[in-house]
Amino acid sequence: MFEQFKTDLRWAGVRQNLVAWVFLLPFVFVYVAFLIYPFGRGVWISLHDWNLLAVTFNPDAKTFIGLDNYLRLFWGTEMTWRAWARPVLQGLCVLAAVFFVWRYRIGELRWSTLWQCLMVLLLLMFLFGWAPGEGGRWFDRRFWPTVGNTVFFVAMVVPAITIISLLLATALNRETRGAAFLRTLFFLSQVLSVTVVTLIWQMMFSARQGLVANVVREFGGVPLSWLAEPGFAMAAIVIATVWWSIGIAMVLFLAGLQDIPQEMQEAAKLDRANSVQAFWYIILPNLKRTITLVVILQIILHFQVFGQAHLMTQGGPNDQTQVLVRYIYQTAFRDSDLGIASAMAVFLFVIMAVFSAVQFMVSREDEQ
Amino acid sequence: MVNYKDKKAEKVTTMQKTFISMIAATALSAGAVMPAFGTEVTLARFFGSCQDAGTDVSAAVGEACIIQSIINAFDAENDDFDVTTLPTDWGNYYDQIIASYASGNPPDVHVMHRHRIPEYGQIGALADLTDDLMAHGIDPDDWTDSAREAVTWNDRILGVPMDLHANLWHVNMDLMEAAGLVENGQPILPSSPEEMMEHAEMVREATGQYYLAADFSEFEIGVRMVLAFLWQQDSNIFANGTATINTPEARNALELITGLFDGGYANSRTNYADSQQSFLNGEAAVLVNGTWVVDFYAEQAADEDVELTHYYVADFPTLYDEPATWADTHLWAIPASVKRDNPEVYEGALQLLAFINDHNIDWARTGHAAVRESVLNSDEYAALPHRSEYDNTVNIARDTPASARYGAIQDILNREFQAIWLTGKSIDAALSDAEEDVQSQLDR
Amino acid sequence: MKTMENRRLALLYTMLALPAFIWMVPTLWMVSLSLQPNALLARTTSNTFWGLIPYPLTLDNYVNLLAHGQVHVWFFNSLVVALGMTIGVLVLSTTAGYAFARLNFVGKKTLLVLVLLGLMIPEQAVFIPLYTLFSELGWHNSHHGLIIPRLAVPIGVFIMIQFFRGVTRDVEEAARIDGANTFQIFWHVMLPLARPAMMTVAILTFLYAWNDYLWPLVSAQRTEHFTITLGLASLQSNFAQSEGLGSVMASGVIASMPVVILFLIFQRYVVRAVAVGGSKG
Repeated sequence: MFEQFKTDLRWAGVRQNLVAWVFLLPFVFVYVAFLIYPFGRGVWISLHDWNLLAVTFNPDAKTFIGLDNYLRLFWGTEMTWRAWARPVLQGLCVLAAVFFVWRYRIGELRWSTLWQCLMVLLLLMFLFGWAPGEGGRWFDRRFWPTVGNTVFFVAMVVPAITIISLLLATALNRETRGAAFLRTLFFLSQVLSVTVVTLIWQMMFSARQGLVANVVREFGGVPLSWLAEPGFAMAAIVIATVWWSIGIAMVLFLAGLQDIPQEMQEAAKLDRANSVQAFWYIILPNLKRTITLVVILQIILHFQVFGQAHLMTQGGPNDQTQVLVRYIYQTAFRDSDLGIASAMAVFLFVIMAVFSAVQFMVSREDEQ
Repeated sequence: MVNYKDKKAEKVTTMQKTFISMIAATALSAGAVMPAFGTEVTLARFFGSCQDAGTDVSAAVGEACIIQSIINAFDAENDDFDVTTLPTDWGNYYDQIIASYASGNPPDVHVMHRHRIPEYGQIGALADLTDDLMAHGIDPDDWTDSAREAVTWNDRILGVPMDLHANLWHVNMDLMEAAGLVENGQPILPSSPEEMMEHAEMVREATGQYYLAADFSEFEIGVRMVLAFLWQQDSNIFANGTATINTPEARNALELITGLFDGGYANSRTNYADSQQSFLNGEAAVLVNGTWVVDFYAEQAADEDVELTHYYVADFPTLYDEPATWADTHLWAIPASVKRDNPEVYEGALQLLAFINDHNIDWARTGHAAVRESVLNSDEYAALPHRSEYDNTVNIARDTPASARYGAIQDILNREFQAIWLTGKSIDAALSDAEEDVQSQLDR
Repeated sequence: MKTMENRRLALLYTMLALPAFIWMVPTLWMVSLSLQPNALLARTTSNTFWGLIPYPLTLDNYVNLLAHGQVHVWFFNSLVVALGMTIGVLVLSTTAGYAFARLNFVGKKTLLVLVLLGLMIPEQAVFIPLYTLFSELGWHNSHHGLIIPRLAVPIGVFIMIQFFRGVTRDVEEAARIDGANTFQIFWHVMLPLARPAMMTVAILTFLYAWNDYLWPLVSAQRTEHFTITLGLASLQSNFAQSEGLGSVMASGVIASMPVVILFLIFQRYVVRAVAVGGSKG
């Protein structure tokens, strides 16, 4: 009797496992075949000298070269170490360190987490200290500037989007038709595709036919060729991107605002706090988590920028708007250098993974 | 917007239902594709799209419409084959051709440049057409020497050449006249760097307009100017696998061009479309651009609404010792896989190429130089508008040495030269960087 | 009190009117240009009120585009890809989400973590190996070639896990007592409950599919297999100016129409989808 029960139980267990796997199998198969396996394959390609066309016509045309592709990207000749070899990247590390210490001081970060973060940043600071010395040069002169451009783009776009969308969300967080209409209006550009957005803004900024130029000319100014003008090309891409993508951030903030208890805002009103004070003392502190979330999401999203730079400026002038994903695309499909392109893709993954880890940590600390 | 009226949103409204049925209807109607007769031959090309090209070749103007009308005419005359044209934008064209070969799915016939032959030839990607041409009425002996060279790789013919295209000086005669730079109905063009600056000053004084316009900020038109000036000084960007860019000759060429910008005689910020538009608007006496726009500018000059009225085409002038201008050849190639696996399609592709070869005179109407001796020597060709004005161009045509890395090398030059005239990088630094980068491409 | 509130509202709207108008200008301008003759636009783009008012007005650009051109083919491709991807993601994410949230099986924790890690892999990090893989499979230039890569992205699964975890056990127990097996429970009980969450997943996927650029750019090399996003990019290239600015802008309007209409109709869902997808992603 008892044996029978045990067998039944075991059978039930097997059956349950079987049923579960019927449900899981479709997804797990697709997931492993088209995400995990390709990812591993990408790492494998990055260890080869792999010409796209040559390997197509002769699968043996690839050679295993270990980490040479990575060396080609990250290293150069006559490398020497100096404390402030690359002030921008290292400065960012310092800023990040200050940020983490601040979060620890206000009790948002545990000591162990802070410690880990600082160790990683210190390591990065050290690594960034290496640069070609006298008479040396990077093996790939374009890689680090491209990374720099991408970081710069993110550093411009993310704060702009965060601030604008936060202000808009605060102003439009009310149940009137007018507010609903304006919310729709500001969100609308978000659903356009990157090709439409770049089509519009490419024309907007054209020195000859552009709306901006037409208006400038009307007031007696001399219109600029934004997309060919150093400094302005990146600005043009940033403007187009901000215009395109405040919608998602705004909606996230609106959702965050809904979670602030109504009584708090009522209390503020009774205390005769004006809207600026209410914003500063009630809304901002309560939105802290949402703000962090929005910032990290935007960083991950915009680090992968491709279409805007590819379609509006082709990376120019003089590579000022060349970004990482466009460099990957070009290396792979114009120069046929799959190996190096894959190494850059792995680098991109590592950066994304770091930010995802930070996001994960932030939300975990939050829950505790 | 968030959670305000969730209840209401749960219901699928009539409007949503209408929308869904609309989607279904579109899907059905678009799914009913026209039945195709005959063997399908897919063709990839750039040149832009021409939606209402029709089949009347003689009525078409401009590269896009002329080539499309030729293709359409072939399609209409041949019931055995259906040509599907896949026009791709110029910016991504070669990326996509590479991607299509690498995916094992290249178009059955596609246009390409002479300079890409090494890249595709060395891996055996293109079909060897040598023994099949005569049988289809294509006579390689009728081609000019340069055209035959353009399509030949290791003594085998890998394509059918269509033209020789080169950089020209497109001239606004009214502005030149005003500056006193016209003699016997011909523009006076400079014969030395110093003279060019003098002319530029004369045009500005007389008209207040730019002397020269070109695409300096987008495609490689500016690079091709520099290359011409290099060749004119008997220099080149590389030879025998060694980059030779950081040279006094290159410095001369670049200083000449930056001199135009510094003096206010040209605008470095213009892209392809803007430079063309400024020429048509009468804002520049000279436009440096290719042969591909001669018929278009002639048509524009005849249009009363367009500022440009007296249009002249000139050979790229010789400012140094030897005459030279940048040139290349458009040619049609068939993937080796088509010849190997699909004889029927290969037959169709060859017939199409023969048809295009027969219409060499029509393609030459764009302004390109023909590749067939029989066409070059015909009265019809000589009578093409403006043709006599730049007939020396075929004799001075040049290009950089063959390399499988041509695209990447041009990109390096374009980037570094743009760095000089757009972002103020010093000529010395740009040349030394360009030399190192080109060298590393040659070493790969 | 009431009037003060009203006055504050009025002030707010006046302050927001100008930014709102400026925000709309680029879109309005595109629509306006698409309604003007190409010949006019070749000379000037600021004919009436900086070109913001389409005068002289013409529908030729739209007629030409729809009559000739491949826009309708691209449109159809986009539709098939977007719908196919949406349906595929829905099937995979509901089944897997249900299993992770409600069923017990060996190695659940490990597998869940493994799938969680997949969220860190951006599309751009795998598009090269995927490209070579699909080349070997001969899957390029096809609808499924554009659909399948996105099916592997686990965000939908996570949204569904979150949802199914929130459903009370009672419903399931009741059905089980009535003699329903797991599949019946999933189909007849859980799925109907999950409609809002599925809507979220569907909208996120559809928007993504409609607007994706990088993967179609490398996978669809033949114009007949272009999606509308890709086709539009090829139209706006400078050398394609032969067709005129008005036509290019009209193609932009046509490409945007479905998503804009979709957004206006399903606005509430879209907004919630973004809020949910954003905070879970």
